[in-house]
Amino acid sequence: MDREKTPIPIGTTVLTERTGETMEEMYVNMGPQHPSTHGVLRLMLKLDGEVVTDCVPYIGYLHRCHEKIGENRSYQQIVPYTDRLDYLASMCMNFGYVLSVEKLMGVRVPERAEYLRVILAELQRIASHLVWLGTFGLDLGNFTIFIYCFREREMILDLFEAVSGQRLNYSFYRVGGVALDIPNNWVAECRAFLAWFKPRIPEYDALVTDNILFQKRLQGVGAIDPATAVNYGLSGPMIRSCGVMWDLRRNDPYSIYDRFEFQIPVFDTCDAWARFLVRRQEMLESVKIIEQALDQLPSGDVMAKMPKTLKPPVGQVYARTESPRGELGFYIVSDGSPKPYRYRVRSPAYCNLSALHEMLRGSLVADVVAVLGSVDIVLGEIDR
Amino acid sequence: MTPEEVLERLKQRFTESLGEAEVKGAEVRATVAAERGYEVCRYLRELGFEYLNCLSGADWTTHLEVVYDLSSLTHPSKVHLRVRLDREHPVVRTVSDIWRAADWHERECYDLFGVRFDGHPDHRRILLPEDWVGFPLRKDYADERMVPYTDYGFEEKAAKEAAKGAAKPAAKPETPA
Repeated sequence: MDREKTPIPIGTTVLTERTGETMEEMYVNMGPQHPSTHGVLRLMLKLDGEVVTDCVPYIGYLHRCHEKIGENRSYQQIVPYTDRLDYLASMCMNFGYVLSVEKLMGVRVPERAEYLRVILAELQRIASHLVWLGTFGLDLGNFTIFIYCFREREMILDLFEAVSGQRLNYSFYRVGGVALDIPNNWVAECRAFLAWFKPRIPEYDALVTDNILFQKRLQGVGAIDPATAVNYGLSGPMIRSCGVMWDLRRNDPYSIYDRFEFQIPVFDTCDAWARFLVRRQEMLESVKIIEQALDQLPSGDVMAKMPKTLKPPVGQVYARTESPRGELGFYIVSDGSPKPYRYRVRSPAYCNLSALHEMLRGSLVADVVAVLGSVDIVLGEIDR
Repeated sequence: MTPEEVLERLKQRFTESLGEAEVKGAEVRATVAAERGYEVCRYLRELGFEYLNCLSGADWTTHLEVVYDLSSLTHPSKVHLRVRLDREHPVVRTVSDIWRAADWHERECYDLFGVRFDGHPDHRRILLPEDWVGFPLRKDYADERMVPYTDYGFEEKAAKEAAKGAAKPAAKPETPA
């Protein structure tokens, strides 16, 4: 597509040649208001008959100046803003942010807080993947799985509500630890949830994984080769579905992830089906991590002794964590004042979405929804 | 490849254009002149840094900076490369032909800082509307809707309390916030 010419003429047709025949080429606007874009995203599709030849995403509809606001807030005041980045994985967003500030300040976090952080982040990963699986089912016309996934997610939200008082935007992580200790009996409730959750995966399998319609919609759809995936900076399940064994919890361990035993699911068919399988498997691996963490959970403080006003030393840091969508990076420049001089978020879905046209090129227009769904975007994090 | 080796090779090849350079943990931190930035990036790609984590800008009021965070999938070294640009005419050659990931990052950097990336295939705003005036993340960008920083008199109060606490012999132990 001639990307220089913007805006692209909507609804006009031009003549092009494909396989020797003269065909009509058409531009179709998908979104910004579309149930399958999971937010406000506009895709400009260039179609050659039923085949997608190019796709240009238009983003920014949810831009809320996150980075500019961050430069005018103190380090503690930014935590609630990070919740709103990826509202399906607020715990993981908090986690990434506080880790980067701690790295800048050289803070040691109490053991118990480390464990609580990992437990909550992994529960959040399950919850996030459940929302993804449910809405992905909706995209593909399987309504039942949506209800099942949201039933389990509701239980995780209940657990989160018990620790933080919130159901979506927790702001539970603090620089130096977590806000509160867990309530009595929370560990038992968490274990009860895990015991309930593990047999649910075979239930989902019966609904979707073994469903021939589901398989046919995904297998061989939206493929991207591993070299291109790395070149585009894809991360998380997107890159692990390309046969690249890359998980920051294993390859660049942060917090206490090096203490747990878990597998990194990798599939090498590079298509939407592989992405589905990676996320399905990851939920089970997260359960393993939570179980080990609950077993080892030490007692003690949940918050290090911190000054009331945080003034990190002059310097800059780029810290990355593995969010449910991939590599979440925070680049923070400190000038020694109580607010960051520069605050930058490297959002995983932003990079994953930037390779969408590579995945869509040559696929059918009916598969666009499936491919977009398999990327697992959250526009709150892309637009920031 | 260890970070020391990376730094050694960079120093050998780009002696005169390499500014301050150090190794911090697993990370090589280097500053390089704008006109050699592209070549350094290409060389680092050859050294195996095939993953562009992040490309960001920074406004230092005297100059602008483009920061490349690179890593590799095969060895644990990382590179934190800073390129200094003139604030009036910030132009640098695009690296989107080395790492396609830079495509959207550079568009964002242009959008928010006004850095021009020479040779970029699709050079336009990405997050803001196309008719937006100004570059919001520059330090001199003004907008009356912006809420300035306030700590609600917190620091002043804390200083007063500290002064009081110093006067009294038995100060209350500080509870973590």
